[in-house]
Amino acid sequence: MLKVLLPIVLAPAILCTTITFTTHRQNRAEFTYVSGPEPETLDPPLLTGFLEGRIVAALFEGLTQYEPKDLSPIPGIASHWNVSEDGRTYTFYLRDTKWSNGEPLTAHDFVYSWKRALDPITAADYAYQLYYIKNARPFNEGRLTDFSQVGVRAVDDYTLEVQLENPTAFFLDLTSFPTLMPVNRKCAEAHGDDWTLPENMVCNGPFRLAEWKINDRIRMEKNPFYWDAQHVKLQSIDALAIESINTGFNVYETGGADYLYGVPLPLVETLSDRKDFHSHVFLATFFLRFNVTAPPFDDVRVRKALDMAIDKEGIVKYVTRGGEIPAATLVPPGMPNYQPPEGLPFNPEEAQRLLAEAGYPGGHGFPKTEYLFNTSEANKDIAEVIQQMWKKYLGIDVTLVNQEWKVFLSTVKNLDYQIARGNWIGDYVDPNTFLDMFVTGGGNNRTGWSNRRYDQLIEAAAEEKDEDKRMEIFREAENILVADDLPILPVYYHVSLDMYRPHVKGVSPNLLNIHPWKYVRIDRETN
Amino acid sequence: MENKPAMAGWAFVVFIGIIVLLTPVIAPYSYEEQNLEEQYQGPSLKHWMGTDSKGRDLMTRVMYGGRISLAVGLAGAAVSLIIGVTYGSIAGFKGGRTDNIMMRAVDILYGLPFIFFVILVMTVVGRSIYVLFIALGAVQWLTMARIVRGQTIMLKEREFVEAARALGASNARIIVYHLLPNLIGPIIVYATLTIPSVMLEEAFLSFLGLGVQPPASSWGSLAADGMIHITPVKTDWWLVVFPGMTLAATLFALNLLGDGLRDALET
Repeated sequence: MLKVLLPIVLAPAILCTTITFTTHRQNRAEFTYVSGPEPETLDPPLLTGFLEGRIVAALFEGLTQYEPKDLSPIPGIASHWNVSEDGRTYTFYLRDTKWSNGEPLTAHDFVYSWKRALDPITAADYAYQLYYIKNARPFNEGRLTDFSQVGVRAVDDYTLEVQLENPTAFFLDLTSFPTLMPVNRKCAEAHGDDWTLPENMVCNGPFRLAEWKINDRIRMEKNPFYWDAQHVKLQSIDALAIESINTGFNVYETGGADYLYGVPLPLVETLSDRKDFHSHVFLATFFLRFNVTAPPFDDVRVRKALDMAIDKEGIVKYVTRGGEIPAATLVPPGMPNYQPPEGLPFNPEEAQRLLAEAGYPGGHGFPKTEYLFNTSEANKDIAEVIQQMWKKYLGIDVTLVNQEWKVFLSTVKNLDYQIARGNWIGDYVDPNTFLDMFVTGGGNNRTGWSNRRYDQLIEAAAEEKDEDKRMEIFREAENILVADDLPILPVYYHVSLDMYRPHVKGVSPNLLNIHPWKYVRIDRETN
Repeated sequence: MENKPAMAGWAFVVFIGIIVLLTPVIAPYSYEEQNLEEQYQGPSLKHWMGTDSKGRDLMTRVMYGGRISLAVGLAGAAVSLIIGVTYGSIAGFKGGRTDNIMMRAVDILYGLPFIFFVILVMTVVGRSIYVLFIALGAVQWLTMARIVRGQTIMLKEREFVEAARALGASNARIIVYHLLPNLIGPIIVYATLTIPSVMLEEAFLSFLGLGVQPPASSWGSLAADGMIHITPVKTDWWLVVFPGMTLAATLFALNLLGDGLRDALET
């Protein structure tokens, strides 16, 4: 009996598997890119990482959006806006646009979304992007519970009025940023944390979420309800979750992806001659965070010693090899009008002296220290070199610990580390995007560092109307950060190293390495 | 000892053993000192196996890596030997219900994916070379336990055990003084074969980034570090070939030796 039944039972099963496999193979998105590790979240106000921002920017659109070449704010959901004479009141006039479920998107949605982003219960690390709005900060800190006093108001369904604390030069840059993107109220309230799953998500950007396979891919499809859908060229996008850059490179090289962010460091020189290799100035800095709340890194002399014992020149020359610049400051070069402070030089003798002064001559008695980084070959290479430099110049033994991206983010957030690798990519072209994150209690501070003078300077800069004076204030603030107190240790300024195939058109290199997929198209005919 | 392959294996194992024992004395360079100016050099007279991405001499690192790989192999085999022999001989000697329960437990453990178990242990207890020793040994003892149990069941019905019992010997005494000496052959053989398999597992774990942590290295982690330099556009072959070949040759020699020992001791 069983013998007779077996083929009958098995045949459809085998057939099914064959069909799934074949359909899966054919079903490739029009455009595929290597995204990096599995994203932490796709909830716009909650994300902090660059790779998450890239996906969310395809799914959502704020009042403004980035112009693809110079990244200046251009109309998005708002078709136009007025700014009052004193620069404190912005009135946005919204287009008649729809959510991806076909329902209209109104000014009330923005009021709800910004309230949600600021709500202390949401605990968004990036909430400070909204602090420029009147009374937003006290509301976020729980000192104010009445949201009607916060400076955002829907005048009618398609008019949004925003009151700012101070005239903020880059406010329209912020309205392009994920933290300020709209979230659908019904969807978020009905599904709680699960609202970002593909079966639940309602979004408003050029694409919508079709599929999310953990550790495999995120599939996005063109959103037919998007207001500018006629100009969206791509029908579907796959964001591949690949943690290892080497695997990513192999996928790209064998035709499995059209776009690769970053290349394996040992290959930079070999690849730099190739036509599909694109390198560009990038407003981003690689640095290390110190947990300043626990010994030995609560001692500024130790932090300075560690900084001065790193030969950053050697790191960019022999490890990163992509034309990066050694960094003594956090704010990268390329900020208009900004003259950065000097920071600390590479000086092993002075480093040894400081370490001895702190009570660890020659590294003797230095506590067991761990250097934490998120798993990647590049991070490991850099960590190993720094580990060796500290050992060589200071006699300190440091253990290297790597964690998967999501775990890493929460470990750093919880100050459950001693030294951690950090990376900051500018959100807009102004020193503020690098400096305001280190104010006391800032969601992206993550060092436990607090300095009253620094906080005051960042606030003063926000209030300053004169551009030269504002830059002077930033310079003074940054000097505290990188020369006096050093809760962070800048290592180098990045350059963006991307690879994309010649048939990928519409990518404009820019300072923030942001390439809205909306403008990208595939053209295999012309070259 | 007529078995030529086994003798060759033995000779190679002794050779590797001597080298890793003398490594701190004879190694030409330091295994952790970086010399970035000399990175990515192919094999030369100065660096026989070339240099790695940090300009460290690969041969030195292979020698130091061998110390760790062999230490893990020996320690893992020792842990599995202790647990496996104790467990197997008790189960076999007691027999009946005890045996049944103990061996079903082994069956269940066999069913668990061992790598999963090791990763779990390393995540909970933390990553250190000692945890690695214990964790690898702790998953390797199962086969040893089965072999020892089978042999014990066979031996315990023999006359000399009867005689010992008639003279009033305790169970423990019978196991330790009468059974184990007769089991020594298969135990040695299997232990010899456990060393290479533990080494291979360590290499596998290091390859996944779970084994030894930098700047220390084992053959597995060296091969893993080297693998990322094998790409479609650029190949620094020596970074994989030398650690990989050393590992393969040592495993091969150990297996030849184990096979030879089996032929010699089990007939």
